[in-house]
Amino acid sequence: MSSINFSSVSVRVAVDGSDAPKTLLRDVSLELSERRIGVIGANGSGKSTLLRLLNGLVEPSEGTVVVHGDSTTAAVRRVRANVGFVFTDPLSQLVMPTGREDVELSLRRSVRNSKERACRAESVLERFGLLRLADQSIYELSGGERQLLALAAVLAVDPKVLVLDEPSTLLDLRNRELLRRTIAGLDQQVVMSTHDLDLAMDMDRVLVVEAGRIVFDGSPAEGVSFYRALCAATLDAPSLGQAPQ
Amino acid sequence: MRGHGFLIGNYVRGNSIIHRTPLWLKFLVVAACGAASFLIEDWTVSLLAFAVMSGLFLLSGAGYRRLGRAIWMVAPILLIIGLFQWWQLGGPTAARIVLNVLVCVVAASVLTATTPVQGLLDGVVGIAKPFRRFGADPERFALTIAVMLRSIPFIAGAFSDVRDSARARGLERNPRALVLPVFITTVAYARQTGDALAARGLGEPDDPASGRWMYS
Repeated sequence: MSSINFSSVSVRVAVDGSDAPKTLLRDVSLELSERRIGVIGANGSGKSTLLRLLNGLVEPSEGTVVVHGDSTTAAVRRVRANVGFVFTDPLSQLVMPTGREDVELSLRRSVRNSKERACRAESVLERFGLLRLADQSIYELSGGERQLLALAAVLAVDPKVLVLDEPSTLLDLRNRELLRRTIAGLDQQVVMSTHDLDLAMDMDRVLVVEAGRIVFDGSPAEGVSFYRALCAATLDAPSLGQAPQ
Repeated sequence: MRGHGFLIGNYVRGNSIIHRTPLWLKFLVVAACGAASFLIEDWTVSLLAFAVMSGLFLLSGAGYRRLGRAIWMVAPILLIIGLFQWWQLGGPTAARIVLNVLVCVVAASVLTATTPVQGLLDGVVGIAKPFRRFGADPERFALTIAVMLRSIPFIAGAFSDVRDSARARGLERNPRALVLPVFITTVAYARQTGDALAARGLGEPDDPASGRWMYS
């Protein structure tokens, strides 16, 4: 049985000043059982919407999303316990002033004893090589360190699935490489959207999203080639901003 | 955002007498300072209270710089309040009001500088537990405090960034160019924070039927 199932999922949102809703995702049916799944596509194509469905942050207008046997609408609390979500900007995710406190915040639900919680947080930070930064303000950390910390805070509760929404967008080359290695070493199933095609090549399976549809589903090499061709075709087509010659 | 570097009450590790003071007593002092600001009528008493709280802050080992920064954060708004009160009610009243606010700010800074945030949250949960019988969720009280501590410096930083952007465009005297972007940034931040908390399953009751947390 696959761990993630999308069944005829569409997502529509109301648009101000228009009677017709905007379709963000259209009739998506997928079974995701691979350990590493990449989602690539242009800005606004529907990648983030697809990822947010996995954690119940977005509810489908039609169809169902089931993660490890739990519907993301009927059992959202259980789904969120199983699905960790890392956002593009770690600063919007880190709630507490320091790394140690943020990891402890993640553990508040599962570990009620404060001493035990502190021990667990310490071991999580040590595992990610962040112990020396544990008591620094999150604003004093580099982008890569913040992203690793956000990852550590999410992984502290040991989710079964890890969803990452463009995690390398704000990172320099060194930190991107660090993140890449960290992700490669995780036990969790990983679903990640990215504009970094090298990162996409590390995946077991790649989905290409375009205008709310899955237009390619297959191997990373073929997926990246398909996406490059798609981008080239879009660039060659007359754009809205250009006056016709 | 450079203004974000300052976090209210960034905990300062230490073993001073203030660090070792029970949390309930620190809460009590903060509450007493808040209540006293309504009762004190003489500005010299306010000045004395301010001196005492500043002394406690320095005794904690948190240092002059942190004390200065805590005061500097509220200085612009206190200046406006002080000038208005001086114009309306005279110098002594203006001094009393400004000093009373400063007493509360420094008292809160003493609490947060000498208490780890997790300890603070556990304390808030403990205080809020009696309200559970009325359907309140103590963990949500704690989460609210955590988000508040995080949001104030963010908004200060957003204001600093927007002011720089407005300066770069020669719009520093246009209040709309300052207020509107800060407002929009703050709303966007609130939504992102809400999403991040929801994604981490924080703030949700363990038992949705009762709306209460279950303790394992």
